[in-house]
This record gives sequence, structure tokens and C-alpha cells, in this order.
Amino acid sequence: MSSFQISRRGLLQGAASIALLSALPGAVHAQEAPQGGRLVVAADSEPRNLNPAIVASNAVFFISSKVIEPLAEAALDGEGALAPRLATSWEGAEDGLSVTFKLREGVTWHDGKPFTSADVAFSAMEVWKPLQNLGRIVFANLEGVDTPDDLTAVFRFSTPTPIQMIRNALPVVTSVLPKHLYEGTDIASNPANNAPVGTGPFKFAEHRPGEYYRLTRNDAYWGEGQPKLDEIIFRILPDRAAAASALEADEIQLAAFSQVPLVDLERISKVPGLKVVTEGYEALTYQLVVEINHRNKILADLKVRQAIAHAIDRDFVVATVFLGFAAPATGPVPQNAPEFYNPDVPEYAYDVDKANALLDEAGYPRGADGNRFQLRLLPAPFFSETRQFGDYLRQALADVGIDVTIVANDTPAHLKAVYADHDFDITVGSPVFRGDPAISTTILVQSGIADGVFFSNQGGYANAELDAIIAEAAETVDTEARTALYNDFQRIVAGDLPLINVAEWGFTTVASARVANVGNNPRWAVSNWADTGLLP
Amino acid sequence: MKRFVLRFLRSPEGVAGLILLSCLVAMALLAPVLFPRDPLAIVGRPLTAPFTDASLPLGTDRLGRDVLAGLMHGARASLLVGIFAALVAILVGAVVGTVAGFAGGLIDEALMRVVDAFQIVPGFLLALAFVSVTGPSLPVIVFAIALGAWTGPARLARAEVLSIRERDYVAAARVIGMHPAEIAFKEVLPNALPPVLALVSVIVASAVLIEAALSFLNLGDPNIVTWGSMIAEGRNVLRTAPYLSIVPGFGLVLTVLGVYLFGEGLVEGMAHRRRRQ
Repeated sequence: MSSFQISRRGLLQGAASIALLSALPGAVHAQEAPQGGRLVVAADSEPRNLNPAIVASNAVFFISSKVIEPLAEAALDGEGALAPRLATSWEGAEDGLSVTFKLREGVTWHDGKPFTSADVAFSAMEVWKPLQNLGRIVFANLEGVDTPDDLTAVFRFSTPTPIQMIRNALPVVTSVLPKHLYEGTDIASNPANNAPVGTGPFKFAEHRPGEYYRLTRNDAYWGEGQPKLDEIIFRILPDRAAAASALEADEIQLAAFSQVPLVDLERISKVPGLKVVTEGYEALTYQLVVEINHRNKILADLKVRQAIAHAIDRDFVVATVFLGFAAPATGPVPQNAPEFYNPDVPEYAYDVDKANALLDEAGYPRGADGNRFQLRLLPAPFFSETRQFGDYLRQALADVGIDVTIVANDTPAHLKAVYADHDFDITVGSPVFRGDPAISTTILVQSGIADGVFFSNQGGYANAELDAIIAEAAETVDTEARTALYNDFQRIVAGDLPLINVAEWGFTTVASARVANVGNNPRWAVSNWADTGLLP
Repeated sequence: MKRFVLRFLRSPEGVAGLILLSCLVAMALLAPVLFPRDPLAIVGRPLTAPFTDASLPLGTDRLGRDVLAGLMHGARASLLVGIFAALVAILVGAVVGTVAGFAGGLIDEALMRVVDAFQIVPGFLLALAFVSVTGPSLPVIVFAIALGAWTGPARLARAEVLSIRERDYVAAARVIGMHPAEIAFKEVLPNALPPVLALVSVIVASAVLIEAALSFLNLGDPNIVTWGSMIAEGRNVLRTAPYLSIVPGFGLVLTVLGVYLFGEGLVEGMAHRRRRQ
């Protein structure tokens, strides 16, 4: 999480597998798409480094996931909600000290060289573990990778490592690089980082800065009858208003990651020939969170935090700030992570009277001006929704007698103020749930994290019971026992409120009605698009 | 003075400007009386269209905040920023210009180079840089705008002082042994001031616009309503609820127009007086 880019998507890197929407509308199952055609897609940023093995961020995956493949991709069904890609099976040892991957046969790199277990071993030891933002956490205890034959890779760990976490991390952290192009070079500055060579359904053709990226069909792709498209063009359209007009003019056929703003969706959904797709982001869930500085004596009081939680009308936030494209949150794990989600946690219904009563009880009566105390609120500037929720929160807290002053900062100043200087009382944040709480969720509440680590607990919260659960879960190999620990984790976080989860949201895709198979897996926008096609 | 007022009242621009400005001042003064609640409070259903709800005549924005309350309170912020920015700019400019013009020599050179340095940077960029470094709040914004606006008054004051300091009454003041600073600020400055004051309308108008532009770029004070922040909010829903941008935009146009016309009237009045002299 050290690598950081200022762009809407790049901000919060990656997001991991596993998520099933309980009810999926019929529009999503596989459609038979014809061969051929060129798909033009809006892209809102140009990542400097296109190597997903180093920078596991959505902005990078958006383009390079079509070129470089992971060992497995998230799926709506299948074993562990994973679809095999370069690996065909994976099995964890009972002691948690090793994981064995069987690899796909007959796969070749875009330059014609065969893909083998040596590529996987090299990627894991030389790239994922030492260089990748998320791989550093997932593979922290990876000792080595054995390659008994060309199609088997055995990952050895120094301490028991839960297979559940490895599995959940596979789609995001395991993009395999060609060893023959990277071995013996400076990996971070290898030219292939900007012109990736992979095994995916599309080959990287060219990048014209400020104009477009062009990918062309990989005729030797291992997937039968795939890919459907001949060419994908990522047209650079940094202005978000431009994407909507370009779609209407049929200059582009697809805009993902809510490039078309929420407020425009209702209008654009009525434009003939365009469709709005909300599926395909189930494993890319962002969370709207009120982070709290527990160094502030007032906020260290649980009653005050509970009062704040009761003062927030989550349904109003979902309906107005997110225009319905979100869900109210109950705790630190989102509902579309059913493997972990625990609905049985303390809840805080919208109740102004109760909030007032709690604040009175806590010993903060209203003063002559109707205010109890002052707080400084730093809304994260990452999304217009986080800023707008900041405006709402100020009003919601005014209703219970808390006088909030909003301090607006740009992104670097915000990150410094909150995560390095701790110069805030409350802040609105937008962490990502990456498929497994161990990857980027526990860090939000765990104590003992160094100052200056972005998107971590910098509010000075410390709870020994919670820390013990987190530590235990990190070494619990048994999936059921580990899941049970995370159920306790959610109960404690929702009860003790180290932070307040308000809502969780995904993104939307707007596409031409001619584009087939949009949003048919939980990480669709950052998956390989091998089955995506253009209807005539 | 009476004649000046008469002249002013006879110029159509002046009268139109006066009427517009009076309306604005009335709006600004009445805002806390008519809308005692925080104008950022959520009072109705989000995105209520104008003229559909009698209690919310101009409708509500995306969070359900009263647009009319925002417009009235926004007038306060705009006028406050405009007037104070102009005040600071004129004050600093007049003092620097007077000192430079009256002292002459090295001090003059040094001060005028500082003025040059400020003048080569566009005022808006200067304000933008200053606000993004210090963080937005109303006093900071006033100061940031004044930072780019004080050079005009400074140069004008200096030019006036240069001609006035050669006059006989200044020489007389010297002869009777007045302190140079006393001469500069008691004798010279008051006479150099009128043409500098004519710049007020220009500075107020540009200050109102710069403040709106800063708010539009999310660099305004987020705890108060300003027209610029209302337009920025409305821009997101420009195609579905254009009134959210049009209403405060209209306020902005009328304010700048009013200030400009008022300034024209002032110049007219003064020009006649001068010709008479």
C-alpha cells in the first residue's frame, strides 16, 4: 500500500476475489457473441507503470488484465468462487506451510515462448513478494517456490498461512510475468512494464500518450474460441463529462468504473442503444467510513461514538449521495462478501433522540448556543461522494448539537493530515474491501501500525481483544475457524466503533447495447474480457 | 459634494448600479433575518424544482438544501469578500505607493520591484497557490485575493504622489519642519487618494469573481455557502437540474454588473467635478 497514485481508481489499489451477489438478474449470463470487431473503451487515467505484478491497482488492471493473466480469476460460481486461469487447481497443505498449484498445459507467451512453473516461481519470489503493494502482505511469509516439474509450483511458507487468504488474493496478487524477459534485469525499470508481454487473450500493440492504448487479438490464446474481439482501444478521456457524450455519439462503446457520473445515469439509461450495468463490481467494493481520532478525549468515549453512529441516516446517504447505487453498511465487512459477512452485529438505527440522550449521558450537555462541542471533519477528496457525505455529516451532527467545521484539503494534504500528522477529529474515508479481511481491512483497526501508513489505523485506537483476534486469524489455517474469528472481529468492530461504517458501493458500467457479456464476473472491469463481444 | 451626488444620480449607469447594489446589500443584510438557520441545513426533499413548493421557492439542491437561503447567504459571502479584499488591497497599495513616491531613491526602487514581482503573476494564480497552501477559510481567501490586487493601487498612488510632492503646500509643510512621514500621510496621501479609490469597483468585481472561481474549484471555505460553491455543486447535475447553476450564476452576473455600473457612475461624477476645477 505504499505505492500511491492520484487518480480516481488508482487511489485504492486492487480488490480481491470472492463475492456472490445473492440474486443476479438474468441479463448477466453468458451470451454467444460473434467473432471480430473493435471495442473502444473510455479510460480516465494513464498509469505510468502497466505491470500488474508490481502495481496491483484497478487503474493498471483495467488495461493490463487483458494482456497479463493471474493464476485464477474471481467467478460468480465454481470452487471457492474462482475460475482457473493459468493455474488449473490449487491445494493447501494441512499444516498451512505449503500450497501446490497445478498449471495449465500448452500456454505460450505472446512472444511464442512456453509458459512454465519457472515463470510462476520467478514472479512470486522476485516480484510479488518484494515489489508488489499487496503481495508484500499476502506473501510476507513466503520462503520459496519449488518447481518439481514444468506444470507444478509449490509455495512454501515459513509460518502457517491460511489457504483461505491465499485463495481470496489470487485474482489480485498473482499476475504472472515472463521470466525470460525479466530475469537478470532491473525489474522495476524493465521496458516490458510499459509494453507488457503476457499470456492473455489480447496482445499489447501500442500506447500513444494522451490518445489511446491499443490491444490486438492473441490468435494463440489457450481459451477455446477466445477472444471474441479483434481489437480493444482504450481511449483516454480524462474529463468525466466527455465519456457520456462520447457514448451517446457512439465514439466509444463502453465506460466503466462510473466514468459516467451517477447523476447522469438516469438520463443516459433512457438513451436508446445504451445500457447501464451495475454488475461486475461485486469484488471491488468500496466502503464509506467515518474514521475517528481516538486521541481526542471526547471521541475516546464510546457513548459519543455511538451517538454519532445513531445520528447518521444511512438510508438518506444511500438515496441522495449515492442515488441508490450503494447499500447501507452494518460493519467492517461488506454484504457482498458472503464468506465473511456477519449480519449479527450491534446496529445503530437512525435515531436523533437516542443520539442526544447518549451525548447527555456522556456528560456533554448543550451550551447556550445549542452546541455541545466542536469537531474538525476532514472529508477525503477522493470521490465526489466522500466530499458530499462530509457536507451531509456536518448537518447530521449539527442536529445533535455537535458543531463541525469542515477542513477541505487536496489529496496529498489530506493524506498527510490524517495518516501522518493525525491532525483531525473525524474524517470521511473510502477503504476497499479486497476479498479477505486480512488483506486491507484489519489494518484499519489494528494497533501498533507505524505513523504515515496510508489507509490504516492512524486514529490511535487500541483494543487488545481485537488485536488478539487479528493475530490469531492471521495464523489460523482452518477455514471455518478462521471465518469464525472474523465473525467475532466484525462484532467487536461494530460494537466498539473504532470507525463507523456507513455505506458500501461498487461502480457502474455504461455500454452500448451491442456489447455482449458485460459484468459477468465479480471483477469484470479488471478481468480479461476474453468472452466480451460486439453484436452486429 | 452635493453636486457630485447630483451628477452621479443623473448618470444612468450610476443609478442602475446603485439599485442593483442596494438590492444585494439588502439581501446580504436580511439573510440572517429571513433564514436564521444554517443555509447548509437539509430542509427538504433533494432536487425539488423551483416554484413547486411554496416554502422552498427556488427549490433544493442534491442534498435538499434551500437554494434561496443559499442565494441570500451567498450574497453576504460575496460582498464580504469583495469589500474586504478591496479594502485591504487599497490600504496596502496606498501606503506602499505613498512611501515609494514620497521617499524616492532606493526605497522607491526596491518597493516598485516588489510591485513588479507581484504584477507579473496573474492575480488568480496567486490566490490559487496561496489558498491551496494555507487551506481555505474566509480571511485567507480575502488576503489571497488582496495579494494579487494591491499592486494597481500602489502604482497609481505612487504616480499621484510623485506629482503632488512637488506642489507648493508640500514645500511649505517642509519649511515649517513637519516630519516627512507626517507630510506623506497627512498632506500628500489624502490628495492622492481619490483616483486610487476609483479602482475600488474594479477590485471588488474581480474579487467576487475570483472568490467564486476558487469555490468552484473546491478551494472555498466549505463551511459557508458561496455562489461559486453552489455553481460547482450544481455543475454535477447540469443536465438534470440546470437551475442549481443558473440561479447563483445569475446572482454573480448581477453583482459584478452592479459594481461595474456603480463604478462607472462614480467616475462620471468625479470627471465632471474635475472638469469644473
